[in-house]
Amino acid sequence: MIPLSWYLLLSATLFSIGLIGFVIRRDLIVMLMCLEIMFNAVNIAFASFSYYNSNLTGQIFVLFSIAVAACEAVIGLAIVLALVRNTGINHSDEIVNLRG
Amino acid sequence: MNPLIEQVFYVYFFISLTILSIAVIASKNIIHSAFFLLIFLLHVAAIFLFLNAEFLMIIQIIVYVGGVLALFIFAIMIMNIKEEFRHKRFVKFSIAGLITGFLFLAGLYIFLGTVKSPENVLIKSDVNSLGKLLYSYYFLPFEILSLVLLIAMIGGIIIAKKTPFDREGK
Repeated sequence: MIPLSWYLLLSATLFSIGLIGFVIRRDLIVMLMCLEIMFNAVNIAFASFSYYNSNLTGQIFVLFSIAVAACEAVIGLAIVLALVRNTGINHSDEIVNLRG
Repeated sequence: MNPLIEQVFYVYFFISLTILSIAVIASKNIIHSAFFLLIFLLHVAAIFLFLNAEFLMIIQIIVYVGGVLALFIFAIMIMNIKEEFRHKRFVKFSIAGLITGFLFLAGLYIFLGTVKSPENVLIKSDVNSLGKLLYSYYFLPFEILSLVLLIAMIGGIIIAKKTPFDREGK
C-alpha cells in the first residue's frame, strides 16, 4: 500500500523539473516537451486523487487534460514551424521583433 | 500484491521518471530528448497502472506515444537541426531559473509532507463505469472537447501551411 503523499511528491518533482526546463532551455521544441512533462505530472496527481477518493471523476479529467495537451502540442508545433520557416529563428531569446 | 514489492516498483519508477525528465532537459541533441520523452511517457503509463486506471494507461500510450510524440519527431525532422550544435543550450540567466524551480519544489514539499491517505481506495473497475459517467454526466464537456479538437486541427493546418507570399518568394 503506497501512501497518497508519495504520488503527490512524484507529481511535484516532475512538475518542478518541467518548470525549470521550460525556463532555462532555449530551444522552442524542448520547451514544448517540458510542457508535456508538466501535463503528465498534473495527470498523475489527478489519477492519484481519483484513486484515494474512490471517485472516477479524476480519471475523466485526465481524459480531458490529455485531449487539451494534444491540441496544445499541435498548435505549438505549428507556430514553431511557421516561425522557423518565416524567420529562421529556433530559439526563444532570439525572437525580438516586439523588442522583448 | 505484496506491499513491499509494490513499494520497490514504485521507488524504481520514481527514480527513473526523475532521471528521464532531467535527461529530456539536459541532453544536447534534440532528437535524444524526444526519445527520452518517449520512455518517460511509457513510465507514466505504468504509474497509471498502479492507480487502477487501465483505460488511462491505454489512452496515454495511444495519444501521447502514438500521436503527440510522433508529431514532435516529424517536426524535428522537418526543421533543420544541424544548427543546434552551434548554439548554447541554456539561457543566460539559467541559475536564476534553477533557484526559482528549487524554491517552488521546496514549498510544495513542505505542504505535501503532512498529507494523510484515506483507508478505502478505488475498487477495481472496468471501463464500463467510466464510459457511463463520461456519456451521461460529462456529456456536454465531451462534445465541447470534440469541437476543440476540430478547431485545433484546422488551426494547426492553417498556421503551418505556406502562405501565398511564401510561394512568391520562391
